[in-house]
Amino acid sequence: MIEFQNVDFAYTSVNAEGKTIHENGISGLDLSIRDGEFVVLTGGSGCGKTTITRLINGLIPHYYSGELHGSITIDGKSVPDTPIYETAKRVGSVFQNPRSQFFNVNTTDEIAFAAENQCREPVEISKAITETAASMHIEKLLDRSIFELSGGEKQIIACAGVSVLSPDIIVLDEPSSNLDSGAIEKLKIILSDWKSQGKTIVIAEHRLYFLRELADRLLILKDGRIVRELNASQIKALTFADTEQIGIRPLSLLDIRYSYGRASGRNETLTLESFIFTYKDGKHGINIPKLELPSGGVIAIIGHNGAGKSTLARNICGLEHKCKGVMKLGGKALKAKDRLKQCYMIMQDVNHQLFTESVRDEVMLSMTDKLLTDEQKVQKADEILKSLDLLEYADTHPMALSGGQKQRTAIASGIASSKPVIIFDEPTSGLDLAHMKQVAGEILKLRDMGKTVIIVTHDLEFILSCCDHIVRLEQGQVVEDHALDKDTCNRLQKFFCK
Amino acid sequence: MKEKFEVKELINVGVFTALYFVVVFVTCFIGMVPICMVLIPLIIPIVAGIPLMLFFSKIKRFGMFTISGVLFGLIMFLLGSYSWVIILTCVLAALLADLVMMAGGYKSVKCCVAASSVFSLWGIGTFISLFFGFREEYLNSIVDGYGQEYVDKLSSYTPSWMFFVMAAMCLVGGLIGGLLGSKVLNKHFRKAGMA
Amino acid sequence: MQIGFQGNTKNAVFDPDPRAKFAMLLAVNIIMISGGSVGVEYALRIICAVLPLVLLLSIRNYRTALIYFILLGAAVYCEGMVLPHTHGVAGILLMIPCGILTRFMTGYMMCWYTVRSTSVSEFVTAMDKMHVPYFLTIPMSVMFRYFPTLGEEYRSIHDAMKMREIGQSVKNPFTYIEYVLVPIMMSTVRIADELSAASLTKGLSAGSRRTHICRIRLNALDILMIAGSFVMIVLFFIY
Repeated sequence: MIEFQNVDFAYTSVNAEGKTIHENGISGLDLSIRDGEFVVLTGGSGCGKTTITRLINGLIPHYYSGELHGSITIDGKSVPDTPIYETAKRVGSVFQNPRSQFFNVNTTDEIAFAAENQCREPVEISKAITETAASMHIEKLLDRSIFELSGGEKQIIACAGVSVLSPDIIVLDEPSSNLDSGAIEKLKIILSDWKSQGKTIVIAEHRLYFLRELADRLLILKDGRIVRELNASQIKALTFADTEQIGIRPLSLLDIRYSYGRASGRNETLTLESFIFTYKDGKHGINIPKLELPSGGVIAIIGHNGAGKSTLARNICGLEHKCKGVMKLGGKALKAKDRLKQCYMIMQDVNHQLFTESVRDEVMLSMTDKLLTDEQKVQKADEILKSLDLLEYADTHPMALSGGQKQRTAIASGIASSKPVIIFDEPTSGLDLAHMKQVAGEILKLRDMGKTVIIVTHDLEFILSCCDHIVRLEQGQVVEDHALDKDTCNRLQKFFCK
Repeated sequence: MKEKFEVKELINVGVFTALYFVVVFVTCFIGMVPICMVLIPLIIPIVAGIPLMLFFSKIKRFGMFTISGVLFGLIMFLLGSYSWVIILTCVLAALLADLVMMAGGYKSVKCCVAASSVFSLWGIGTFISLFFGFREEYLNSIVDGYGQEYVDKLSSYTPSWMFFVMAAMCLVGGLIGGLLGSKVLNKHFRKAGMA
Repeated sequence: MQIGFQGNTKNAVFDPDPRAKFAMLLAVNIIMISGGSVGVEYALRIICAVLPLVLLLSIRNYRTALIYFILLGAAVYCEGMVLPHTHGVAGILLMIPCGILTRFMTGYMMCWYTVRSTSVSEFVTAMDKMHVPYFLTIPMSVMFRYFPTLGEEYRSIHDAMKMREIGQSVKNPFTYIEYVLVPIMMSTVRIADELSAASLTKGLSAGSRRTHICRIRLNALDILMIAGSFVMIVLFFIY
């Protein structure tokens, strides 16, 4: 049993001016979680759901510092007064970012890591790994380098590491953020196994559809407080209209309504010819002899992990100079090198594409037109920033912004570069409903400016709220290529729900 | 150093040592252009000083940086094709740098810049064997075959004072790198609330 | 980026314990760099020069072994046969690379072999068994884990720079270095934070004992190698 009694917590940090600030915690939390219960925490960014998971696994107060009041106990034992390595024996944790939660390079070592830290017998650990691998069907992932695995596979390895220890309590912090629908399906199976083994599970998530049958309780948080609490039958009864009204992601993909439709204004096309590319390992790649896309449209590229979505995006961008493919746009044939000048990609991790010391400089860096004077550049930059609600942050360092603001800064730079094609790589991973809608709104703005927008995504709800054309890849080849309307919408939903 | 190191500190030592090594390694390759060759002892600490200063800003007590020096020495030895002397110079330089920072209470920026300069002396380990040890023996061993005159001429191409010039280049490079690094810290990391 | 322990020994003819590799590494490095070319020292140097050749062959790394054999052979031949007959600048130009090759290449090849044939877990386990303290083994594992991550980070940043045409528009090398390094440094800070949090919840604590699933054990051959290495070092210092 996990009990929170009147818990208040605020993170302390030092801001740019050197002042200590308190922010984003939780307040007045009273909550008790029964053994074997499956609790889902949800709510907008900064609502405090991650904070609750950290209070359970002891990262607060042992790692994240701040002001903590009240008591948190697991079976009567106070978490803040227990050393974190003791808590770790009872509570297993899975995190959001598969890239930074691994201590080892080798997958088997990583699965064994937590058990090794508890000084379990090597023979026992090896046995447990073999059993876990068999029950999770991941034998082929053993003894590999972490760096060869996809995001979904990494997350499964993280779950396997928890399974080997078999703790009573498992907390997961947005585990599905970087996963595609196939990987989410696997995660769901793992979760339901854990549930049937009687483990207590606490999961903080934005995407909820895969938890519908599993959740015993859904807690909706806002500004650090629980604002609504639903039991299993209430969760199943939630309709799309209900979740929209509460402001959370839908609980079923099947009843998401397709609200967006538009007559395509222009009949011009953007044509890809002989996009054939294989990576050095000879396995992954794309093979697209010809693909016609509506220029000025919003095109979603979908498909499972490893289907070649990102490879296609990189090739369209011209980042793989070995690709001999040609893109025809506005009567011009563009080779890889020319495409670099016509395409702009907003990466999944936008941190990699922000270089300067202020948001305004970041936007101005993209203005390569030598005819503009500095004043003109500033003026133009401010206009763009204003249209994206960023003007008040013009002098802020990009890294001091929130994730969504960083993404908008990258979009602003894309607009400033005046390139006609804008590509997004998984723009909504880890976003709550409100932010997802905001991104969709920005994409429609880009379309209205006359840009062609290409989006690599796993997010059905997002596709239905802004895309008008679908390209589905399988093993590097285009298997579906059609406009999105009411009729094709069902086909899409079936792909995501199978 | 009675208290145990925290996990966080050790992980910081690991990632920043890795980063420092990679920066040194990559700069070394860029510096392979013939003209730059002579300036390598100057260029490397300048570039590597930037991440080094960020690492320094995470150091709060004695020992962390010395550990980093041991690791850096080991990896330079294992992957950098230098003799075992490199381990010695890296550890000593790191220890000295650690002491310099301790003198500033691990807070003073000036001391951190000085520490960057001092630590850059690890570079001595890469060329010391070209001047001492190896060189003397080598020259002695060929006296028989070539005659003293030839050997004298050879040693005049690699005079001992070059050693001190190169060591001085390390120090100056480390100083410039440290100053640059603190500038970058102010420009980016303080503003972003990350340092 | 191919830095760090790769540890592929599936095809190896024999796979010595990491501790045996360390002992040989030590012996080779001490003897090759300062050894002379007469008597016992000469004999020791020949043994040391042959050692990496055998080891490289044992992990079926034929190409590297061949390159090593040719380069070293050429350098030794030059030193012995060609150099005594050359004079002037040509002599020096030949002498310096030959000297470097004969003295450093063997040590380097030994390192290369060690890195290639040992996995990170074997390495760390061996370190623990040798009672290397936790404050060295933990950062060391992190370091090897972080090298490939750095490669990934760099590639992404490089792509972003290409897309924004920063490489061409920025002429000042310091600005260029800043643009590459600052995002990498930012990620480093962030990854260190997240990795620390994840490691803590997996029960990693500084200074407590931990077990290893990786099993390494000294067999007779390993002990022979270790003993041999130390005998060589002792002999070297006596003579």
